[in-house]
Amino acid sequence: MGMISFKSVSKTYGGPAGVLALDKVDFQIGEGEFVALLGPSGCGKSTLLNLLAGFEPSSDGVLTFDGKTISRPGPDRGVVFQEAALLPWLTVWENVVFGPKVQGVPKVEYEKKAREILEIVGLEKFHGALPVQLSGGMRQRVGIARVLVMEPRALLMDEPFGALDAQTRLSMQQLLLEVWQRLNTTVLFVTHDIDEAILLADRVCVMTARPGRITRDIPITLPRPRSIDDLTTTEFIRFKALIMAQMRGEPH
Amino acid sequence: MTVSASEPRPASTLVRRRPDPARLVGSLWRYAAAILLPLALVVLWQLAGRDGAVAGGALPTPSRVWDAWKIWAFGTPTGMSLSPYVGTWAESVLFSAQRVAKGFALAIVVGVPLGILIGWSKLAQAMVDPTIQWLRPVPITAWLPISIAIFGIADFGAVFLITIGAFYPIVINTTQGARDVETNWIRAAQMMGASRFDILRRIVLPAALPSIFTGLRIGLGIGWTAVIVSEMVAVKSGLGYVLWDAYYVGRMDIVIADMVSIGLVGFLSDWLIVRLEMWVLRWRRLQSFNK
Repeated sequence: MGMISFKSVSKTYGGPAGVLALDKVDFQIGEGEFVALLGPSGCGKSTLLNLLAGFEPSSDGVLTFDGKTISRPGPDRGVVFQEAALLPWLTVWENVVFGPKVQGVPKVEYEKKAREILEIVGLEKFHGALPVQLSGGMRQRVGIARVLVMEPRALLMDEPFGALDAQTRLSMQQLLLEVWQRLNTTVLFVTHDIDEAILLADRVCVMTARPGRITRDIPITLPRPRSIDDLTTTEFIRFKALIMAQMRGEPH
Repeated sequence: MTVSASEPRPASTLVRRRPDPARLVGSLWRYAAAILLPLALVVLWQLAGRDGAVAGGALPTPSRVWDAWKIWAFGTPTGMSLSPYVGTWAESVLFSAQRVAKGFALAIVVGVPLGILIGWSKLAQAMVDPTIQWLRPVPITAWLPISIAIFGIADFGAVFLITIGAFYPIVINTTQGARDVETNWIRAAQMMGASRFDILRRIVLPAALPSIFTGLRIGLGIGWTAVIVSEMVAVKSGLGYVLWDAYYVGRMDIVIADMVSIGLVGFLSDWLIVRLEMWVLRWRRLQSFNK
């Protein structure tokens, strides 16, 4: 459950003579694995995530999720967007239950779960607030909650903490670690933050731009459960030095 | 889990405002400022007149208009002759207002779904939008002959014209709103399993509402123009009918009282739409700079 496979997947924008955003990417994510996709902006990491989400079609190659070719978005792959992308006219609660509601899940089934998840992300007091009344970090908690309530087989996160201040980002990373260690879903986490990638992931895949390729695949063997205290351990610094050295070797 | 110090207060304290003396003075000042200009104009107009008349007797002074309006609104008909300008004001206002309401409602029922469709579907745009753009330059007055030919001198002729007049701004603004929906809202809804119809109803429609309200306000204004024009020509009741009839019999005091009445009910109906908009679009008001 939650197995992702890219086989020689390419993506070209603007017709056959257009820009090659992804070039024959081969890439696997196993069940329950947490993979961070690390790279500079414009390297195609968001494109890769969009193909997997089913937002855009691939131009070439085979892209499957649990053995099935991806053709459209669906609740089995929950996406957390960079700017949360909440529906601004709905309250926190309405945003969180939007998925089950449109899928026709009976109220009694989703209400209890939605309440639990709001509690996990620490927003039970804000269920009646509108997104505009929340801070960036709280908005992203709602973005995570509305995905978790659907119990997806994979979480696709597109720089979800990129727009947050450093302190809030740390608390969100801690939250994500806690949530993931309970659920053990497959996660693809796109980021340009090396610390974030090492802290969260089992594997860090480094991407380079023009054309977009995955050039390094580095297993992170730091023990779990992890927390933000790990950011300063010597083990952690060693991984950081390794990744930075490998990234420096690549053209930007 | 750590919580940063800058977390905002719970929602309730942000939505409800406590009564604030400074705010009260502010709103009183705004009412006073709003009334100042019309008041000055009326005073000047009154001073310009002599023996209740302005411009060599062509126009009455405000005091005579006021007297005529009082009789038009509250007078009880006496004697043998049945004057149309005694105690019939409310009736005329209601006739016009219910025509506007019907025509406006019809324009919304047709214009909003059509606008959503044109904005959402390239096919609908290709097939419907050009026709709308061709018909749009035809002014509502040009539709009068057809309206009378089909509906005769009857209520629905006016409703028809109002619908046509209000339809264009509503459909065009709705189209614009539906076209400008943020991609990530659509993607988020698709990701959560929403069907195409769900996306239209739960994403595109609410996202287009700010534009739709712009269209509604413009459309309603045109609706008032349309009702007066059609009542002047094609219907035998309402403020437009009274306006033209009073002109024919030389009752300029009633003409002016009628014009002021149109302005007032038009203003009132717009105010209702604005209140509705403020309520429906609370989420947007909180986002904007000028709360």
